[in-house]
Amino acid sequence: MGFEGAYDDMMNQGGVTDTRTTLDPKSSLEHHTVDPSHAQNPSYYAPPSGSEPASWTSYNLDQHSDPRSVPQASAGTVSSSGATNIEYANYATYPNNDPYGYGNTNYSGYYSSYQQQPNQPYPQQQPSQTYGQPAGAYQSTGAPHQPISSFQNAGSYAGPTSYSTTYYNPGDYQTSGGYPSANYNNTQANSWNQGSYANYGHQYPNYTAESNGAYNAQSAPATSVQYQQDYKQWADYYSQTEVTCAPGTENVASTSTSNLAAPPVLASGYSAPNSQQLSASTAPSSWRPESGLSELPSVQPSAPVNNVHEGYWKQGGQGFQNYTVSSTQSNFQKPLDLNPISGSFQNQQKPEVPQQPYVPYATSHQVAQTYHLSLPPPPPPPPPQTAAPPFDSARVSNVQIPTNPRISSNLSASLPKNSNASVGVTKPAYIGVSLPKTNDNASSHAAADSSLKPGMLPKSLRGYVERALARCKDDRQMSACQDILKEVITKASTDGTLSTRDWDTEPLFPLPNVDLINDSTTPSSLIKNRRSPIRRTKSRWEPLPEEKPVEKQLCYTPSNVKHGGPIYNNERDKQVSTARPENKENKFSNLKFYLGNQKETNKAGLRPAKRQHVGDGRIGLNDGDSSSDSDKEQSLTAYYAGAIALADSPEERKRRESRSKRFERNHGSRSAPNLTKTKSVGGGNLYTRRASASVLANSNSLDDGAASRAVEDIDWDSLTVKGTCQEIEKRYLRLTSAPDPATVRPEEVLERALVFVQDSPKNYLYKCDQLKSIRQDLTVQRIHNELTVKVYETHARLAIEVGDLSEYNQCQSQLQTLYAEGIKGQHMEFAAYNLLCVILHSNNNRDLLSAMSRLSVEARKDVGVKHALAVRAAVTSGNYVLFFKLYKDAPNLNTCLMDLYVEKMRYAAVKCMTRSYRPTLPVSYVAQVLGFQSTDEKNTSGLEECTEWLKAHGACLATDSSGEMMLDAKASMASLFMPEPDDAVAHGDASLAVNDFLTRSLS
Amino acid sequence: MASYMSMGEAHRRITDYLNRFVDVISYQDGTSLKPLLSLSSESPSFLALADALNLFQDANRLIKQADKYSQYAEIVAPLFRAMQSYRVGHLVESYQAFEKSANAFIQEFRNWESAWALEALYVVVYEIRILAEKADRELASNGKTPEKLKAAGSFLMKVFGVLAGKGPKRVGALYVTCQLFKVYFKLGTVHLCRSVIRSIETARIFDFEEFPVRDKVTYMYYTGRLEVLNENFPAADHKLSYALKHCDPQSEANIRMILKYLVPVKLSIGILPKKALLEKYTLVEYSDIVLAMKRGDLRLLRHALEEHEDRFLRSGVYLVLEKLELQVYQRLVKKIYIIQKQKDPSKAHQIKLEMIVKALKWLEMEMDLDEVECIMSILIYKNLVKGYFAHKSKVAVLSKQDPFPKLNGKPINS
Repeated sequence: MGFEGAYDDMMNQGGVTDTRTTLDPKSSLEHHTVDPSHAQNPSYYAPPSGSEPASWTSYNLDQHSDPRSVPQASAGTVSSSGATNIEYANYATYPNNDPYGYGNTNYSGYYSSYQQQPNQPYPQQQPSQTYGQPAGAYQSTGAPHQPISSFQNAGSYAGPTSYSTTYYNPGDYQTSGGYPSANYNNTQANSWNQGSYANYGHQYPNYTAESNGAYNAQSAPATSVQYQQDYKQWADYYSQTEVTCAPGTENVASTSTSNLAAPPVLASGYSAPNSQQLSASTAPSSWRPESGLSELPSVQPSAPVNNVHEGYWKQGGQGFQNYTVSSTQSNFQKPLDLNPISGSFQNQQKPEVPQQPYVPYATSHQVAQTYHLSLPPPPPPPPPQTAAPPFDSARVSNVQIPTNPRISSNLSASLPKNSNASVGVTKPAYIGVSLPKTNDNASSHAAADSSLKPGMLPKSLRGYVERALARCKDDRQMSACQDILKEVITKASTDGTLSTRDWDTEPLFPLPNVDLINDSTTPSSLIKNRRSPIRRTKSRWEPLPEEKPVEKQLCYTPSNVKHGGPIYNNERDKQVSTARPENKENKFSNLKFYLGNQKETNKAGLRPAKRQHVGDGRIGLNDGDSSSDSDKEQSLTAYYAGAIALADSPEERKRRESRSKRFERNHGSRSAPNLTKTKSVGGGNLYTRRASASVLANSNSLDDGAASRAVEDIDWDSLTVKGTCQEIEKRYLRLTSAPDPATVRPEEVLERALVFVQDSPKNYLYKCDQLKSIRQDLTVQRIHNELTVKVYETHARLAIEVGDLSEYNQCQSQLQTLYAEGIKGQHMEFAAYNLLCVILHSNNNRDLLSAMSRLSVEARKDVGVKHALAVRAAVTSGNYVLFFKLYKDAPNLNTCLMDLYVEKMRYAAVKCMTRSYRPTLPVSYVAQVLGFQSTDEKNTSGLEECTEWLKAHGACLATDSSGEMMLDAKASMASLFMPEPDDAVAHGDASLAVNDFLTRSLS
Repeated sequence: MASYMSMGEAHRRITDYLNRFVDVISYQDGTSLKPLLSLSSESPSFLALADALNLFQDANRLIKQADKYSQYAEIVAPLFRAMQSYRVGHLVESYQAFEKSANAFIQEFRNWESAWALEALYVVVYEIRILAEKADRELASNGKTPEKLKAAGSFLMKVFGVLAGKGPKRVGALYVTCQLFKVYFKLGTVHLCRSVIRSIETARIFDFEEFPVRDKVTYMYYTGRLEVLNENFPAADHKLSYALKHCDPQSEANIRMILKYLVPVKLSIGILPKKALLEKYTLVEYSDIVLAMKRGDLRLLRHALEEHEDRFLRSGVYLVLEKLELQVYQRLVKKIYIIQKQKDPSKAHQIKLEMIVKALKWLEMEMDLDEVECIMSILIYKNLVKGYFAHKSKVAVLSKQDPFPKLNGKPINS
């Protein structure tokens, strides 16, 4: 089941990505357009400084609203460092996510801004083209990288993928924010890959078309509608990703990170963040202090990226995205955040808002502005660039640096914003400046994004990348591998062999020694990052359509606050606290929001849960089921809500971790950087385990060995769900996504549930359903003990009783493996059933022989087995008398299995009798020999029943002189036939009836 | 090979091997190629080479040195690795490397117009099966899933595809088929044989008589076994008899294997083997059964079945032998009939049920009237006894003509 679940999840995600992709293009367009505007808006810089959360949301909004503007953002990020691309993506995704999922207000704002902006953006598209030039420049460097990222993404996610996947990989995707960013990335990737502006332009047109349509559609309906759509997508996405909370969390995380990051950045905007890490930038000092406040700063240098990645991976992408976003944001956000620090973002935005009528729009603009504002500082950073590279190289490795250039190109685009006029020119400057920051954040991001994201790569290459990353045991390796992959792909792309090479057969490079690369990350920072991701995961649920309306009402600041709020909720403990100090001004709003948000989140959580169900396809299943679907759903929702409320509890955290782990695995090793962060985080995680393992192993040889069997080596224990559901009754719904612990019952509850079902007076259908759900919960939690055996035995017996052979066979095969594991149960009894089943129903000599030869000496002494063997002998020899004797005194449920063969046996017997007896045969004898028993106590001893049966089968009956009913053997010889069964099977599905099958096969 | 070997010696051996390998291929000398590809033979030359490889380590460099070697690098390099691993007992790795080498060999083989390398291909096919079995044993002993034989099975299917075409190579198809049978029978995935059998028996490119005798015998043996499983006795009889007839009389082990299935098949169509035959091929487990059939001794039959149950179950003839019970009953009733006839010929054709019950009781077979009546009914139904049963009087009335028809090579009709 676990596998299935994972698989399903993957599939779901793939589907999600599709939706995203569609959205993404639009957003990307918008982003692009926005970017120009942003670039044009130097004045914006000042406003952004106000509220950090706002900055995030605004940022997101900007990206969203201004798909074209996204470029700006991206540009900004790019400017910060090569990472900017990644960051960009992250950003974009973030914004998108936030707007969609959480920042409804933002969204609305976004949308509204969208509409407004569309005009601007389009005009700006040309600017974007200008950007494109930079991008083109980037492309050369970044192209390989992007392809890689796209690969990874694509691999894990499905087609839509190339775009979404690329985004996804960055982690931005998951945030769904992916829209703008994703688009952006895609476009960038394309342009980059192609290296020609024309491509870029093409993309734009496409984008515009798509985006317009999509946007229009979105914008046309009320923002709320749009949101809902988004939400649904998110919900689906979430459900698919398994993490109910994930969406919200992502958003939250992003916001939180932004908040955190923002404070530090305040001073120097982009450059500051960069500088923080690098210290080269002007802002570094401020950054670091801030970072200290938020904890992120310290991490940021190394951790930010890692965090982002980690979040990404762990949280099933979304969380990662947030992280990545955050990290990227840290670059970006830092600038933005820095601004917020000074005031709150919201505040700043508010001021700006006045300028822009639409709140969302304003916010977006503001965000953009903030970005821009932050961006301006970067120009100074050029020095940081140099500094940054070292950082990157240290952490990210060479590959990152190349990516950085690309990012930087993006950044440069953003820088242009600052300069407005000279995009291209600014780009270089930005690149220089941004590189440091981006390197940190971007390095990981870029690595993942640029190298991995690009959707241009051939499928085989994706597979190659996935294979390569699948070997990675921990985050560090992941990141290192990604770096190497980047190099490989870059090289291949420069060779021109990217598409021609046979990636399927391409040998994998030896696993890098990760420790060296990632040691720099600080545990504390890592921890922080982790937490934030985790919270984000929770927040996934939080961001709901409901919130959006509220935010809208609240106006700019509220919206911002709200955004911040959810984020805070998610990150409450750490990030919120940290953030609060930073944003004193915001604090008020934040606090308020915090409280309000919690409520909202809960509500949101509820909704998501429901939606999840839908998304999971459970609803559909439920629909199929007759009774208590709605009730169940309600209860489930309640559980979800509870789970959300418990978000901060260790349990929840664990769950999240396990979820995120799963995600990580599912996606293979795309986001190595993220992984690295997670590793550092903490003891219980797979990541950590892997990390520690890798540390221990450290040697390539071990890794290599692991590489070949990466899949088998997956530590399923860590993926195993721990249920929290306390309900005894639960309907069976086939899982189409990863199980939610809140709906899974722990072992104690399952035990009670089993007893409950056994004692239940209800019919088999109900019991079967209940038992299946128990089985599912057992499977999902990988419980293999005597309880499991008991459940399967119970179900098997029930199935035998009603003749449901297909269900019985499922149980039997499970039981055989369970018994083989040495778990005690009614081994003999079921060996006998198995024998009977083979004898009576499969009619396969080979199976029979192997079943018989498997019987141990002790088994042969068992009553049930002996009986089964005797039945076999009776059947093979056609000894009907013996058969019905055995039928009468069969132990256990052997009778029930024999029941299914009775008809066939009787028919064969009567055929034999008519052939061998002359002249007549008393029906009473036939009834006695063929096991017809009196249904009532009328002393007829089944005579009437037998008569009926004989008549039904075409026998000729006659009454002799003494009045006894006789079977005319000779006359019956030719007239016997097997009637079509008119029976309705007990369990309602006639196709499952063995009798039916046997009857048909007789003819 | 504990003997000391110098680096120079190792180098010399490896180059020797490479030279021979290249020469043999250029001369298209299939017979000389065979020993060069064999691992499991563990011939001294192979062992020496493997030791040399393990000592020298960097044989790939040697292969790459000269063009004439490197053109076969795809075959030789993994082959060397397989040899090295084999020598040090790493059979799984050895198998993996050998499969790689074999794949490359097949590629080459495909390009060779004539079938000169067929013998060498046989060696490859054989080696891969043997290596897979050994690798699986290693895997199983390490608690892992044995899967190499399965992989070998799919590899052999690939080889079959290479051979199953028009041209001189097609005569090699049956050898591969037989190796496939061995794999499938070992794996217990007998149903997979069907597709191969179908292509052998229906494809027009194959003329069965054209195949080498040894392959034909092996093929008939395995397909005969399949027919035994299906309880298709006439077909099983035909195939196994063919195998017996064409089998090399010197290879008694093979004859014994064939008889192991042919005897039960013959028994079930009413043909009993001579005692000497069973003794010659040490098939004594059947002798009691034959005796029981001669005597109509149900107890002896059941005892014999019980005694050798494991063996019969494993070889898959248990169910066949069990069905001989009816013939034993027939024999028993016939004996009663003969005795009655001696006493009172006029009433001999009427056998009272009680007589049979009594006879069975002497054999310590406790059965009640109903059960015996049922058996009589079945005997009549299956045409092992001619006549009818009068329920009222509990008497089996036998036909006056040939009341106990012989099977005469026909199976019991069911």
